Amino acid sequence: MIRRTLVPLALGATLTTLLLAGPAGATAPHALRGTFKLSAGSCADGGVTGSWFRMVYPGGTVANGKFFANPDSQCTANTTYTLVVPGTQGGLVTGSYQSDPSPAFNSQGGALADNIIEPQSFTGIDFSVATDKVDPQTNEQVPAPSIKQSGANLTGQVTAWSAAWNKLYFNQGSPKPGGSYPGLTQKVSGTYNSKTHAFVLTWASAVVGGPFNGFTGVWHLAGTFVAKR
Amino acid sequence: MRTTADDGSVEQVTPGHPWLLAVVAMIGVGLMVAPLVFGMFSKAPEGAVMISAFKPYMTVSRLDGYQDELSVIDAGVHQTDTSVARSLDPASGGRQEFDAAYPDFASFDRQWPAIDSKMTGLMDQVQANLGNYLAVAALPSFRLFPWFFVIPGALVAAVAIAALLRPSLWGAVRWVLVVLGISLVAAPVAFQMFGRAPDGGRMMTAFKSIETTGNVEQIQGYFGSMAVGQGAIRLDIVPALEAEGLSQAQVAAQFPAVARLDADWVHILNDMTPMIGTMSDNVVNYQAVASLPPFPLFPWFFVIPGVLVTGLALAAGVRRPGAEGEPDADAELSSNQPSVTKGAS
Repeated sequence: MIRRTLVPLALGATLTTLLLAGPAGATAPHALRGTFKLSAGSCADGGVTGSWFRMVYPGGTVANGKFFANPDSQCTANTTYTLVVPGTQGGLVTGSYQSDPSPAFNSQGGALADNIIEPQSFTGIDFSVATDKVDPQTNEQVPAPSIKQSGANLTGQVTAWSAAWNKLYFNQGSPKPGGSYPGLTQKVSGTYNSKTHAFVLTWASAVVGGPFNGFTGVWHLAGTFVAKR
Repeated sequence: MRTTADDGSVEQVTPGHPWLLAVVAMIGVGLMVAPLVFGMFSKAPEGAVMISAFKPYMTVSRLDGYQDELSVIDAGVHQTDTSVARSLDPASGGRQEFDAAYPDFASFDRQWPAIDSKMTGLMDQVQANLGNYLAVAALPSFRLFPWFFVIPGALVAAVAIAALLRPSLWGAVRWVLVVLGISLVAAPVAFQMFGRAPDGGRMMTAFKSIETTGNVEQIQGYFGSMAVGQGAIRLDIVPALEAEGLSQAQVAAQFPAVARLDADWVHILNDMTPMIGTMSDNVVNYQAVASLPPFPLFPWFFVIPGVLVTGLALAAGVRRPGAEGEPDADAELSSNQPSVTKGAS
């Protein structure tokens, strides 16, 4: 009697476990904690590789622009790409913040944060990015960036991603502080090669408020992930 | 009100026309609910934010500075377009090859007259309304505006209702109503609202074409064009002049307007960008304020109820309990001695 009862139960439990585990080979999403070390942006032969940033005018689209031309772009063939150069910490650190320095700007309004990227000139004034516990534009508490890997795909949130330029801050996170996706804001997505640890992370983030209100920043980070030890 | 009559008994007065007190109470309630009807509790604070946000920019020196900056850009563009172009492209009289060699500048050069006209016109408009802005900014904070209706309205209503419920209070509260009414009339005078509110109306009219999403986006677009044009001068044209053999000092000496634009560019960005941000951030605030009743009407929102409350409180008159005939409305005014009725103490 007991055997008759236990056998179906055991079979059922096994079946349930297999179903929950999903198809063979799939892995549950897990957080990648460490540094997404950036490859510097590069512009050659009409293409752009590595890490870069673009800005879409109000009314444009992420795919087709119209894109803001940065005359200081190192990508002279297409100045709508502002190339990114890795900063002193090599790139984006997940699970902790890479805060703006104090002061955050020089006397001309150039951003001084250099942990994630090296400040890059944007229309004559340096811009940079940081991830602060309190978003400097909205003054809202935001979580530290987190990226999850599920097979070859990356997802996550970079709500704290904040650009600084001309003594102004522009939240460039996804989702935005508070969890919304206004305008053309797109979720963080990307690819990951578990063997080489090569990654690509992309997202778009609408600028809400300030002189670039209605513009959308498009971020493309590429490089190699180095896990935290 | 209790008062002593000639024969020594305590006398009380009651409203001669209680229905007029009911009207006064309704005026008080009307004042209380007016801010709710007009959405003032949400819109007035937005107006306060707008007035406060523009404060750093609304000074003579700052506005003159913007005009100077536009002049600097204009002079730099004009000099690049003429003498620099001739210097770099003498064969074609300074045009065809120059435009081909520096397409970013050429593109900006074509857009500049329209940009300059629009931006200069906008600054002229803002400058012309500096006095109007300052008049509005000198008013009490917009955040307080709803309370300027609610508090006197509540007092008027409370006093009138109290007198209706307890007519024996009338002798005293009648004068409270008169004082409240006079205060409502006096408040706009005290705050110089008759001058400032129409100034505010003029400012709101002038800003109607400025504080729109379309206008802000157009200016954002101009900013992008100016950045490209200045970038072409800074990064392509000046280096080309230096490649022709001119030193930095010679470029500055021969093309001072170009050199000045280069030197001032960061300052221009420092100065103009936050202003564009403020314009953008306050579109919603402006629209909230614009949806309120027109500014010039505001003094009358106090004066008219004030006159009515005062007039009705006086017209309500007084009546002796048990007395026959018309109530005495003017006795107290003429003799400063309440018209009284004999009553039990």
